[in-house]
Formats: sequence, structure tokens, C-alpha cells
Amino acid sequence: MGQFAGKLLADLGMDVVKVEPPGGDDVRRLGPFKGDEPGLELSLRFAFLNGGKRGITLDLGAPEGRALALRLVERSDIVLDSFPPGEMERLGLGYTQLKERNPDVIAASVTGFGQDGPRAGYACPDIVGLSMGGLMFISGDPSRPPVQAPETQSYYYSCVYVALGIVMALLRRDATGIGDHIDVSVQESIATQEHMIREAAFDGVAIKRNGSQHKHTTPANVFPCKDGHVYMFILAARDWDRLLEVWADHPKELDAPELKPPHKRRQQVDMINPLIEQFTRRYTKGELTRLLQEHGVPCLPVNSPADFLAEPQVRERGLFGPVESATLGRYLTTRFPVTFDGERLESAGPAPTLGQDNAAIYSDLGIGAAELERLAARRVV
Amino acid sequence: MTSFLTGIRVVSLTTGIAGPNAARMLATYGAEVFKIESRVGGLDAFRAYGDNPEASPRFIEVNLNTLSVTINLKEPRGVALVRELILKSDVVMENFRPGVATRLGLGPESLRGEKPALIYMRMPGLGSTGPLSGYGTWGPTLTAYSGFTYLWNHPGQDRPVGSQGVYPDYLTGVMAPLAVVAALLERRRTGTGSLLDMAQVDAAAYLLGTTYLDAVVNHRNPQPIGNDSPSAAPHGCYRCRGEERWCVIAVESEEQWRTLCRIMGEPALATDPRFGSIDLRRQHAGDLDAIIGAWTAERDPHDIMSALQEAGVPAGVVQTGSDLAVDPQLVARGFIERVEHPVLGEIPMAGLPLHFAGAAHEPFRSPPPLGADNRYAVCDLLGYTAEQLAQWETEQVVY
Repeated sequence: MGQFAGKLLADLGMDVVKVEPPGGDDVRRLGPFKGDEPGLELSLRFAFLNGGKRGITLDLGAPEGRALALRLVERSDIVLDSFPPGEMERLGLGYTQLKERNPDVIAASVTGFGQDGPRAGYACPDIVGLSMGGLMFISGDPSRPPVQAPETQSYYYSCVYVALGIVMALLRRDATGIGDHIDVSVQESIATQEHMIREAAFDGVAIKRNGSQHKHTTPANVFPCKDGHVYMFILAARDWDRLLEVWADHPKELDAPELKPPHKRRQQVDMINPLIEQFTRRYTKGELTRLLQEHGVPCLPVNSPADFLAEPQVRERGLFGPVESATLGRYLTTRFPVTFDGERLESAGPAPTLGQDNAAIYSDLGIGAAELERLAARRVV
Repeated sequence: MTSFLTGIRVVSLTTGIAGPNAARMLATYGAEVFKIESRVGGLDAFRAYGDNPEASPRFIEVNLNTLSVTINLKEPRGVALVRELILKSDVVMENFRPGVATRLGLGPESLRGEKPALIYMRMPGLGSTGPLSGYGTWGPTLTAYSGFTYLWNHPGQDRPVGSQGVYPDYLTGVMAPLAVVAALLERRRTGTGSLLDMAQVDAAAYLLGTTYLDAVVNHRNPQPIGNDSPSAAPHGCYRCRGEERWCVIAVESEEQWRTLCRIMGEPALATDPRFGSIDLRRQHAGDLDAIIGAWTAERDPHDIMSALQEAGVPAGVVQTGSDLAVDPQLVARGFIERVEHPVLGEIPMAGLPLHFAGAAHEPFRSPPPLGADNRYAVCDLLGYTAEQLAQWETEQVVY
């Protein structure tokens, strides 16, 4: 749930140490896997979410494990967790306990529903976060059940908020010397999207699931071409005029002046969209995109992952950067989406293999090799 | 209590959702944010939703806590004033099409040349460089371009359908302030600002990182999986009693499966060999979903969620906006905000998901009437006289 927050911080250049139980994090057991072969070092999900972190193993439930964790906390600025509410306290690692060891620590906890409230104890797999936050209700084909987003977007999206909270708290700590605890709810993060609360409670509008059809204007939807689909978005009357100009033999009824305002076109969506389809089917998605954009009409192809990777626009701008991994080989992966002074941040590096940095990090904490062996024998690390 | 961004001044040249939401986030956490618009062809596009540009609920929600200054960028004197204001600020955010700011004389090269400590954030749709950087984009076109629309579907649909939402906009609204605050941290150490450039489509694709790794490492083109999960079964969305009522159920262990069977009143299912493991249940997903769907169809989704969650089985209601507005969890945590507006009265809306033990966001404030902060910006900050301001207003420079 919280791994993407650590990934964001690692991509921004922080030294992030992932603490895993001795048997390995559960995400190591989730696919997709390299070559579709399950294996603790072959999960691509784990590789993405933990790229650039260092990794140690530690049994937080053992008294010695807790003591080591607190020594690590003493040397850290930030503590990030995604345990169910109350679990960190039970482990002796609650915010109050962390503060005793590191007075200006910044702790952040991400959970499905937050640290308090009547549903704080509810379980929150990603699909529950998407549905309880409202986004799922407006996702998918109206003739079929609502559909979840790809990957685990409710977790990822919450984690962007977590990272924002952390950098703001760091800025404030630099100025005041005071740390903080940040409590982030996955449900609330998703519920910030799409004005659903205000539209229902104030405007009296109930948004319904309607594919990608925009609610205020049309043509603003997915349209078929010879070899796939495009998304065409027309709002301003000027763009509508331009479309009709490019489409020289368009049906006469589309010239009606009452179709100029977007909301009037939206009311006629069942008449307009099928006519637009007759036009879009004449072209490939590439041809149509070029033709419309040359005339200033917003339109882009609906890319599959392979299409996106092949786009010259994407290749030229270096979103994907190389990583060298001992277990996965050399591969290209998404880099932080912001350039700083024209430069991409370097790919933060591969995800840690299980216990990869035990020797280095425990040695920094003053644990000698013999002591580390003893801890390993007792399965604390 | 010190706000996080007290003393940080921001000039926002943004319109729509993504840029305004990013600027509003900084304002909500204490920054002083000047939103620049003009009555001469320079109003935010969202003011057009509704009859009164001063009372568009949609505009209000994404521009909370900002100040309003009207300056006409079609007049050279107007551009000069905005430039002066930016040079007295810490951050400028813009989402013009690439090249427009530079043509106006507000580009990062000249501004940062004069003030190296300035943080300049731009948020173009497809990027500031590359063969398609000049293309016109809106949120849903970027959702399509990034791969999201293709993947956000049930399997086997002949036409990708996707979501009605504009995910890249909402992502930019949080990712851009993250980058700005990271740059503020960096500036505290180095004294130097940065030029931050975030293509909204890159932000979206970044959140498909596992999919793109699968494509690159396994040389395949990942396809939509609908409501499937490799690690849970049942895992899906089921019709409930009532019009367009749905719940989700996600069973991640054998213990949860046995509990679900018990609550459904079907204990025999727990020993049915077709359903003896997650893998078997995924193989027989059609039979499984039919049995569960028959049970949920006669029940209220909130009752289903409570019964299952209280017994430890992950479940949720596919909530509508009306559900969210009265959700006891959201209400108990103070997430439903009520914002006063002089024309519209009290507007309920979503709050923010960050709860700090030792701090809070600023109380939500409606953006003020257009140009309400002209005097503060032009006279108090830039030092011009009231007479000069009045003249510029007459000449439609400050307008």
C-alpha cells in the first residue's frame, strides 16, 4: 500500500531503506514475473515499486527486532508505514515511541480508511479503495459492472499525497525543528477526484458510468479508426468549426448554429457521435491525429502499452531510463516524470534483493559480523 | 501554528483542472498564490461552467484559497506587470502550450536569468520538447495516450471504454506541488531555484510502471484484466439490490473464503472442490461469480460490506457521490468540507486526505471576486500609486 511513496522519495534522491520480514515482502510474490516464473527476485511489481531503495530484513515482532528498528529510526528523518491502524503501536513503534528516540522524526502512515473513525479497521485491497472513494462508480461501460483501474491506482495515488505531505513536513522541520505524524487515507485520496461529493450534495447531479464520454461536451469520446481508436476532445465552438472544416463532406445537420455551444452538442450526443464515427473510420489513428492536430483540433491515439513505448514523442524525451539488475538483467523503466533544469533524474536503480544491505546497514548501526550471524540464526534478520 | 508554506509567494498562470489544482494545493498549505486572469480573453475556462463566471462551483472547487489579480497579457504593460510580480515571488506555475510563455517574454530563461532563486514549474500535456509538443491536449486525450484508457477495461471489449474521469489532471494536481516543494527544499540548501518541467502524460505513464516493465522485460503487450486479480478470488464487482448499486468483494485467503461462505449461508461451498484454492476459484470464476452475484443481488451493498468487513472479509460499496457526501467514515474524519461563497452560500465538497498530528491545512476559502487583489498586488507589492492603478484599469491593462 505504501511502497510507491518510498519509491517517489527514492526517485527524488533520498536514501530509502526498505525493511522486510525475513521471509520477504508479500509483493515479491505478486506478478507479473520475469519470464512468468514466480520467484522472490523476479517480481516486476516489486522491482518497480522498490527501484532505488536499499533493503534489509528484520522481524519487527521480535524484541531484538524492535530494538534494531529503533536504532535505525534514530538515524533516519522519515518513517513510513502501511500497517493497519494500531499495529505500529502494538509493535512498540507508534509515533510517540518513535519521537522518544528521534524527537523531530517525520512519520507517515497510509491506510485504507485512516487512523480513526468507525471504519478504520476495514480491510482495503485496491479495489475497495477505488470503490469506496467513488472513482469506480464512474469507470467502465454502462452495460457492464464498474471496472477497476489498471495496477493498484488507489494505493499509488494516495502515495503521491504521502510524498507531498513528507516534503512539506521536511520544509517545516528545517524552519522550526519540529517533526510530525501524517495520517493518509486511501479512500479520501480517491474521493478528492472528479467533484463527486460537491456535484451530488450541492449541484444535485449524479454522475453515471459512461465509458470515456465526457459529461459536458461532445465529440469527446473514444472513436474507431481503421487500425484502432483515437480520443477526440472538442469543447470550444472554434474547435467544432475547425473539425467541420477539415471534414469537408460532413452531414448538413451538423452545421446547425445551435450545435455550437458544447452543452447543446452534449444533449445531441446520440445523433452526433455516430456521424463522427463515419468520419473517423476513414483514417488510421495516426493519420487522423495528424490531420486534426494540424488544424488545431485536440485528438490523440488510444495507445496500448506497446504503442506508447514506440511513440517517437516518448522515446525522444527519455521518460524511460536503463537499470542494471543482478536478477532481472538490464531493462528500461519509467523515471520520475519531472525534469529539473532540463535533466531527467537518473533511474534510482534496481530494487534490493532480499536482505541485500543487511551487512552494510547493520554494521552502520554498530552490529558486528558475529552478532549479525547470531541474529540471522535466530531469524531476527 | 505555522503553515507549511507560509512566506512562499506563487504566481499561477494556469487554467482548467491540473494547473489550478496544483496551485490551490500550495495555497491550502499556506502559500500566497496569485491567480492571474483577464477579462480580455483570459478567463479560466472553468468559469464557463454555470451562468455566472463569479459563481461557478467547479471553478471555486479547484481554485480555493487563491488570490485574484486581473492583468491583460495582450498588453505589453500587462506582461511587464506580471513579470514584476513573478520577480517578487518564489514560484511561478504555468500550463500554456509550449513556447507561449517565452513568446510573451515570461519564459524561464529570462526570468531565471534575472532571478536565479525562482522556481519555474511548467505542466505541458505531452512535454515541452519532442515532435508532438505543439499538439493540443485535454485530460481525456492524455489518459488515452498514456495507456490508461486501453487498460482500464473488461477483457475482450472490441472498443476501449475507460473511465469518465480525467486522471492525469488529478495526478498533476498533486505531483506538481510535490516537485515544487522538493525544489524549495533544494533551494534552502543551495540558494538556487529550478526549472521544473512535467509532461502530464509522463506523470500518468509513471503510474503504469509495472505494466511498462512487463512490456519491456517480457516483450509483450499487456492487455486489460477487468476486475481480476492474480492474488485473490473471488475478486470482483457484484450487482446489489437497487438501481445501479454494486459492491466489491476481494477474498485473499482460505480463511476469508470460509467466512464468506458462512455469511452467505452456503457452508457447503467451502468444501466444494471447484473452489478449494485461489487458483481453482480463478479457474472457475464464472461459476463462482454467478453464485456470489445471486447472493448480492438481493441485498443492500452497505449491509453486505458491513457484514463481510466486520467478519474480516475485504468488501466495499461502489459509492456514488451521494454516498460519499454522507459516508460516516469521511464525516467522522472531517473530510467533508463546507465552503462559504457570497453568491452560492455553503458548498459541501471534498477535503484533503492528509491529516497532520501537529498542523492543519488553511481553512478552505472561496476564491475572491475577479480582480479583488489588484490593489494589493499592484500598489502594495509593486509600489505603484492608486492613480496609476486606476489609469491601468481604464486602459484595460489591469482588467
